[in-house]
Amino acid sequence: MLPEMRQMLPEDRRVWRFIGVVALLVALGIPLSVALGVQYDYTLTNVALGGALLGVLCGMTGTFAMLRGQSLLGDALSHAALPGVALAFLLVGREPFALLVGAAATGWLGAQLVGTLTNTTRLKQDAAMGIVLASFFAIGVALLSYIQGRADASQAGLDKFIFGQAAAIVQRDVLMLAAACVLVGATLFAFWKEFKLLTFDPDFARANGYPTRRLNLILSSLIVAVIVLGLQLAGVILMVGLLIAPAAAARQWTRRLEQMIVLAVILGAFAGGSGAVLSAVERGLPTGPMMIVVACSLVLVALLFAPERGVLWQLWQRRTAHQLTKEG
Amino acid sequence: MTDQTYALEINDLTVAYQNKPVLWDIDLHVPSGVLMAIVGPNGAGKSTLIKAALGLIPRASGDVRFFGKPLRQARRLIGYVPQRGSVDWDFPTTVQDVVMMGLYGRLGWLRRPGKAEREAAFHALDQVGMANFAGRQISQLSGGQQQRVFLARALVQAADLYFMDEPFAAVDAVTERAIVSLLHTLREQGKTVIVVHHDLQTVTEYFDWVTLLNVEVIGSGATALTFTEENVRRTYGGRIGALPPALNGSTPQREGVYVA
Amino acid sequence: MHGIERLLIEFLLNFATAEQINIFFGDPRNTALLIGALVAFATALCGVFLVLRKMAMTADAISHTVLFGIVAAFLAMLWLGQEPSLSSPLLLLGAAAAGVGTVLLTELIQRSNLVKGDTALGLAFPFLFALAVILVTRYIPNVHLDADSVMVGEIGVAWANTNSHCLANCEPVTITADDPRATVARTCVNCAAEGISPRSPRAAFEETCGNCGTFSAAEAWQRRLISAPPQLVFVPRALLPLGSVSLLNLLFVLFFYKELKLATFDAGLAAAFGFKPALLSYALMILVSLTAVAAFDAVGSILVVAFFIIPAAAAYLLTDRLWLMFVIAPLLGIFAAFTGYEVARTWDISISAAMVIMLFACFSLIWVLSPRYGLLAGLVRRWRQHRQFAEQLLLGHLYNHQRTAEADAECARETLHQHLNWSPRKTAHYLARLQAGRLVQLEAAQVRLTLRGEAVVQAFRTELLAH
Ligand SMILES: Nc1ncnc2c1ncn2[C@@H]1O[C@H](COP(=O)(O)OP(=O)(O)OP(=O)(O)O)[C@@H](O)[C@H]1O
Ligand SMILES: [Mg+2]
Repeated sequence: MLPEMRQMLPEDRRVWRFIGVVALLVALGIPLSVALGVQYDYTLTNVALGGALLGVLCGMTGTFAMLRGQSLLGDALSHAALPGVALAFLLVGREPFALLVGAAATGWLGAQLVGTLTNTTRLKQDAAMGIVLASFFAIGVALLSYIQGRADASQAGLDKFIFGQAAAIVQRDVLMLAAACVLVGATLFAFWKEFKLLTFDPDFARANGYPTRRLNLILSSLIVAVIVLGLQLAGVILMVGLLIAPAAAARQWTRRLEQMIVLAVILGAFAGGSGAVLSAVERGLPTGPMMIVVACSLVLVALLFAPERGVLWQLWQRRTAHQLTKEG
Repeated sequence: MTDQTYALEINDLTVAYQNKPVLWDIDLHVPSGVLMAIVGPNGAGKSTLIKAALGLIPRASGDVRFFGKPLRQARRLIGYVPQRGSVDWDFPTTVQDVVMMGLYGRLGWLRRPGKAEREAAFHALDQVGMANFAGRQISQLSGGQQQRVFLARALVQAADLYFMDEPFAAVDAVTERAIVSLLHTLREQGKTVIVVHHDLQTVTEYFDWVTLLNVEVIGSGATALTFTEENVRRTYGGRIGALPPALNGSTPQREGVYVA
Repeated sequence: MHGIERLLIEFLLNFATAEQINIFFGDPRNTALLIGALVAFATALCGVFLVLRKMAMTADAISHTVLFGIVAAFLAMLWLGQEPSLSSPLLLLGAAAAGVGTVLLTELIQRSNLVKGDTALGLAFPFLFALAVILVTRYIPNVHLDADSVMVGEIGVAWANTNSHCLANCEPVTITADDPRATVARTCVNCAAEGISPRSPRAAFEETCGNCGTFSAAEAWQRRLISAPPQLVFVPRALLPLGSVSLLNLLFVLFFYKELKLATFDAGLAAAFGFKPALLSYALMILVSLTAVAAFDAVGSILVVAFFIIPAAAAYLLTDRLWLMFVIAPLLGIFAAFTGYEVARTWDISISAAMVIMLFACFSLIWVLSPRYGLLAGLVRRWRQHRQFAEQLLLGHLYNHQRTAEADAECARETLHQHLNWSPRKTAHYLARLQAGRLVQLEAAQVRLTLRGEAVVQAFRTELLAH
C-alpha cells in the first residue's frame, strides 16, 4: 500500500483522511466513556474487548461475504452450527474448544449442502439456505432436548446459543478472538490480491490459472470461523447482521477495497465495543442486540449521508440538475 | 516460434453442456501473427470455444495447444477479454486497479503491485483511450468504457495470443476504429489476436484470417479465401437476410446483416 | 375471538357430545397432531409461492420480525392503558404490520441501489429482531423471553393451554344474605382491638354472610351451591388462530390462483393485465406474517420456516404443475407432522424438532429418488447421455476424417484414442459397442463407418445443426 500513497489521487486521499478521523473518533470513545463514568472492571473490559475484536473480525470477513453476494449465507451457517455444538457436547462434554470445532464442522457442512442443493436441483439459493438452516437447527434442537433429557447435563443451554451471552466472556475467549484476528488478518494480507481478483472477477482468475477452488475454500473457511467465534457473543439470529453491517456501512464511504476493509474493521470494532459498553452501563440491555443496533445505525447514517452515493447526496444532485435545467 | 508451430492448435475438440454438444469435433489451426475473426450466429458456440480453450469449462474430448505447449505452460502467453463480463460493477475499485489485475499473474504470490505495475496499467489505458478515467470508480463507466477497461486489462498482460469476446459490442464508431487500429498494432508486433466478431460487413476490412463457426468449423483460413458467400450461408444456415456488400456485390449499406 | 370459537364448538357438537370433545382435546397426542397438521397445511400453501418467487429467506426474516410487531403491539396496549393480553387481535395486527414492514424496509434499502438484494434483507431483519429483544428485556421485564418458546415452541403442551366454553348450567350464582344457601358466619368485632379471646364473655359478635357474592358456574359447582355441574368444553387455544389462517390461506389461493400464478411466473405480463403483482405480493406477505404468528406458539419461529419452505421445495422437485404442488406440499407437511410426533415420543426429544427432521428426511428422499429431478434419475440420465454422446463423438470423428487425406492416421484402430484424447480402454469399449451395433467395421486395422453408421451420423448432425 505504501508506494501507492506517493501519487495518490485526491479523492483517495480524502477518503483515507476521513478514515483516519473516524479511527481517531472511535479511539477517543474510550477516554470519553471513562469520563462519563463507565468503569472498566474485569468483566466489562473482557466484554468490550471481546465485542471490539469480534467487530474487527466481522469487518474483515464481512467485506468479502457481502461482495461475493453471500450475505445471507452467514445466517444459514450460524444456524447450522447448532447441531455441531450439541454433538460436541455429547461426545466430549463442556470443552469450549471442542464446541467451537463442532460448530465449525456442521456450519461448514451446511454451507456445502447449500452449494450441493443449488447445483444438483432446480432450487434456488434462497430455498436451499432456508432448508439447510431450518433442518440443521431442528437437528440441533432435537439433540439438545435429548441431552437435557439425560440426567447428567443441562448445561449447553439453547438460550445462550440463540441470543448470545456476552457477560460470560472470560479472558481466554478474548485471547482466542485476538488470535483469530491475527490469523484472519495475516491470511487476508498474504492473499490480498488473489482474494480481490477472485471476488471481483472469478472467471478471469480462473483463466489466469489461479487455484480458485482452493482460494474459495480458504475464504469461506475464514467466514465460517468468524461466525462460529461470534455466536457466543451475538447469538444465532443476530450474527448475520453483525457480519455484514460494518461492511455495508463502509462500502458507502469508500471507493477501493483497501479503504473499505479498513473502515469496516474500524466500524466493526466500534459497533462491537460500544454495544458491549452500552449494555453494561444501562442494566437490562442485552449485549448482542445492542451491537446490532449500533452497527445498523452506522449503516443508516452511511446510506443517508455518504458523499457521492448516499440518498441525501443523490437527492441534492437531482435538485441541482433540476435547477440547472430550469435556468438553462 | 517457428513457422510450423501454430499460435493456437485445436484438435478434435468437443464440448457439451450436460452432454448436449455445443461444439462438435473442432479442428482449428491458427498460425502465429494473424488477426482472426470468429464469426457465427448467436449460440454458435463462439464464447464456448474460447472458454474451452482456456480451460474455463471442461471439454468432452480433444486437445488444445498454444504455441505447441499445453495450457498449463502457456498461461502467461495468453490474454483474455471476456464477453461483457458478469462482474459486479459496483465493486469498490478504480479503473486503474482493474487493469492492474492483469498483472497479478506475473507478480506471483505474496508480491504487491508497485510503481512499475501502475505505469504499465496507465499505459494500457492510454492505448485504449481511457487514460483520463484511470482514477474513476468502475461503477461510473458506460458499457463501452467497461469493455475498453477489460481490453486494457488484457493488453497489460503483454501476451502473445489474445482472445477477445466481442470487443466491439456496445462500442461507438470512433472507439471501434481506435480498437481496430490497436489490433493492427498488435499484429504488427507479431502478436496473434482472435476476436469474436458479429458485424459481417467489416470482416474483410478488419481481419486477415477468419473462422466460420456453427457448432462445427465451417471454414477457417485467410479471409479472402474463406469468407465466401457459400461459407457464410452455410454458417448462418440460410437464415441470413442480407449478405455483406463484399460478398453480394451491392453498394455498401451500413444497416448490416439481419440474422433471424 | 371467543364468539367464533363458540360457533366452532356448536358446529362440532353436531357430531360429538361435549364429553367426547373434551376427551379428544384432552389427549396430548390428538391436539399435537391436529395443530401440527394445521401448521403444515397453512404454511405449505404460502410456501409454494415463497419457493417459486425465490422469497424463502424473506419468510425466514418475517418469522423473526413478527416478534417485533408483537412486542410493539404489546407495548402500545400498555401505553394505551389496556390490559395487554397475548390473544388480542392488536397483536396480530402488529405482527402483520411487522411482516410487511420487513419487506418494505428491505425494498427501501434495495431501491437505493447502495447494497445488493440479500444484503438488504440481512440488515433489515437482525435490526428489527434486535430492537424487539431490547424492548422486551427493557420494558417488559417480567415476561421472560424464553428462547425455547420463541424458537422452538411447545406443541406438546398445546392440549393444556385451553379456552373453556360453558354449554349448560352456566348461569353465575349470586348469593345474598337471605338466600337459603347462605351460611352465617359470626365474627368477633372487638377481639383484636382488645386483645381478648372470642371465648371471653366480653367478646361482642356480629353475624355476617359467609359465602355471599357472585360465583361463576364452575366456582358455584365447586362450592356445591348448585346441584348439577356446568357443562364445559375445553378447546386448545392455538386451534382457532391456526384454523383461521388455514382457511384464509386456502381462500386466498383458491380465489387468486390464476393471478398468483401469472404474477409468479411473469410479473411483467401480470402487471400488463392489471393484476397489480406488487399488491398480491404484499397480500402474500401479510398472510405469511399471520401464519407465522399463529404457528409461532406451536412450533416456534425457526421451525415455522421449515414448514414454509421444505414441503414446497420437495413438491417442486416432484412436479412441474402448480396445482399439484399445492396438493403435495400440504400432504407432505402433514405426514411429517404425524410421523415426527411418534419419533419424538419414541426418543423423547423435542416434538417440533422431530417434525422438522422428518420433513428433512422426506425432502432428502425425494431429492434422491424423484423420478424427474432426483439425484438418481439425474445420474442415470447423465450416464445414458454420456454413453450416447461418446458413441456419437466417435462416429462423428470417423465421419469427418474417413475420406480425407489424414484418414489413415486419424482412424487407425491403434491410435484412435490419441486423437480423441480418450483412454485406450474407453476407446476399445465404445468401438466394441459400435461394432456390435454394426455401425462401424474394421478394415485392416482401420476403423470404418458402415453404411448404417453413416446414416446415423448424418441424422444426428442435421438435428444438431438445426438446434
Ligand atoms: N452454462 C451453460 N449451460 C448450458 N448451456 C449453455 C451454457 N452456456 C451456453 N450454453 C449454450 O451453448 C450454446 C453456445 O453458447 P455460446 O455462449 O458459446 O454462444 P455464442 O456463439 O458465444 O453466442 P453469442 O453470439 O450470443 O455470444 C448456446 O446454445 C447456449 O444456449
Ligand atoms: Mg458469446
